[in-house]
Amino acid sequence: MSVKVNVFLTTLLVGCALSVVNARYQARHLLIELERLQQHAHQLDIDWDQLQLDQSRLAKNDRIEQIARAELNMAPVTPARTQYLTEGAP
Amino acid sequence: MTRGASKSGARVAASKGVAFTKSPVLAVRLPDWRSRMVLFVLFASFAALGARAVWLQGVSNQFLQSQGKSRYERTLELPATRGRILDRNGAVLATSLPVRAVWAIPEDVLASPPEKITALAKLLGMPEADIRKKLDSDRTFVYLKRQVEMPVIAEIEKLKINGLDTRKEYKRFYPQGEVVTHLVGFTNVEDKGQEGMELQHQKTLMGVPGSRRVIKDRLGHIAEDLGMFREPHQGRDLTLSVDSKLQYIAFTSIKNAVEKFNAKAGAAVVLDVHTGEVLALANYPTYNPNDRSKLTGEQLRNRVITDTFEPGSTIKPITIGLGLDTGRITPDTVFDNNPGWMTITGKRIRDTHNYGVQTVSGIIQKSSNIGAVKVSQRIPAQEMWEMYTKVGYGQAPRFGFPGATAGRVRPWKSWRPIEYANMAFGHGLSVSLLQMARSYMIFARNGDIIPLSFVKINEEPVGQQVISPKTAAQVRTMLESVVGPQGTASKAQVAGYRIGGKTGTAEKIVNGRYSRTNNIGYFAGIGPMSKPRFIIAVMVDDPSGALRTGGSVAAPTAADLFASALRAANVPPDSSITDIIIPEVPLEESM
Repeated sequence: MSVKVNVFLTTLLVGCALSVVNARYQARHLLIELERLQQHAHQLDIDWDQLQLDQSRLAKNDRIEQIARAELNMAPVTPARTQYLTEGAP
Repeated sequence: MTRGASKSGARVAASKGVAFTKSPVLAVRLPDWRSRMVLFVLFASFAALGARAVWLQGVSNQFLQSQGKSRYERTLELPATRGRILDRNGAVLATSLPVRAVWAIPEDVLASPPEKITALAKLLGMPEADIRKKLDSDRTFVYLKRQVEMPVIAEIEKLKINGLDTRKEYKRFYPQGEVVTHLVGFTNVEDKGQEGMELQHQKTLMGVPGSRRVIKDRLGHIAEDLGMFREPHQGRDLTLSVDSKLQYIAFTSIKNAVEKFNAKAGAAVVLDVHTGEVLALANYPTYNPNDRSKLTGEQLRNRVITDTFEPGSTIKPITIGLGLDTGRITPDTVFDNNPGWMTITGKRIRDTHNYGVQTVSGIIQKSSNIGAVKVSQRIPAQEMWEMYTKVGYGQAPRFGFPGATAGRVRPWKSWRPIEYANMAFGHGLSVSLLQMARSYMIFARNGDIIPLSFVKINEEPVGQQVISPKTAAQVRTMLESVVGPQGTASKAQVAGYRIGGKTGTAEKIVNGRYSRTNNIGYFAGIGPMSKPRFIIAVMVDDPSGALRTGGSVAAPTAADLFASALRAANVPPDSSITDIIIPEVPLEESM
């Protein structure tokens, strides 16, 4: 009788021990995964900043004006050549 | 031989006949205490070991524990970046991105093949001699170059030079460059603000890095988080009041003016009438904040905020405004300006022309010094001083900009009559261009003045009433007449919009005396007059061409600026006039 109890308890103990090992293993893996994803998020933040910087650089008024004038042959509007429309007017 | 010897040994033992166990030598009894002694020493040793073990593991365990930790625990720095600076529409004016500092252990790097060092020099954009000079050092750590951008670092890592390594750091980028730099400022290599908004808002922009303790495994993976977490404080983004588009317009107008009139410098500021926000603030000459290797003080100067000047005729509307508001004059009060000059305590004040008999409106339109003095003679000095104080002259600015000047207005009790007379047309006191622009708020708004802001604000601040709305409207009418064919600022006319403003010309003080040849031209204006939206003030410093007065250098610059700014801001035109009449010989104001 007592032998059976002992075998049962030993099996239970070993089972618990193994599950602890497994849980630790899983936890460690998830942590590494989390870490990797956080790194990735940080990198994406940096990329986002970089893209915004690029956008600001490309949208620099100076650059736009030069392109508009030189490549697209555009000229600023003047009131003399502007027709203003009033909403609701006939 | 061996056999013989053993035989003889046995023979000896046999012959003596004494068994080993009964050897008389063994019979000698050792004293009892010796064995006890040995036993005691053995137990004492074990006890000492035990005590030591208890000591190390139980009592004084910190040292070993910390040693252990230092072998597998790591403190990771959690990076915090400096906040960005944005314009009012969210365009990036300054942002921090990670870069690397390249450092070297000189001994190891010098041992690598020379062609690698040549390639490194090329990548870093430095002469090879400079790199070798830096490496020629006794130290074990030398920065070769800081703030190297990531693509270059990737190339350098491909070279695989021994003893060369990189350290992570941040670099500040200013995509708008020289256009807005006097407002934004810049940081140094340690990410500390040095000028402008970067300096003013250092505390909120600055990020404080956090940290966490982890256990790393053999492969460098994080195996366990120890939870000692210190949250990083990311720098807060700062949204300025400046509008990139208006800023660019202001900058190009000023730049063109400085080149066209052969001036030493120029500056312009655009204010929002409703909120007191600074929409644009431009200076020329300027500098590129991304490359500050050849920076001079002249380029750094922020002429709008930190320089003061004598406001000259641009102050006359303030003088007249006070006269009107206190009921001492009306727009139609007549003053006799004959014969074009007057004498106060032996000193002569003159106009450029004899304007004869003029109404108050005429005095503003023609910018008559004598008229302004005669108006001021009706106003007590103390009231005048209070007026200057209310509009902010001589008052420490509260808008928060490093190095902002208060200007100078002496206490009224010390004004001598001639000095008071001079102040009526803007001599003997000094203000900054920004103060000048702000003081025009009392006319652009209905007689009240609001604080300025360099940061975007969402609600209109509460104003302080200085003059009555009626007076403000009267002065506005006069200012509009200045910007007309008959006024001194005829060149400030803008097709499609009604503009009002006042020109000014001040002689510069050279070697302690007013110079006849060096002067500064100003224009301070409001537009559009039907529903004031912007206040624009322009300064052109030391124009050296044929045109030198405020009316001929600053007014056309302001007209340019008004035309582009109003159009860019989608302000509907309030005038059908598309042709501008500028008389062949425009009226010049007196100095």
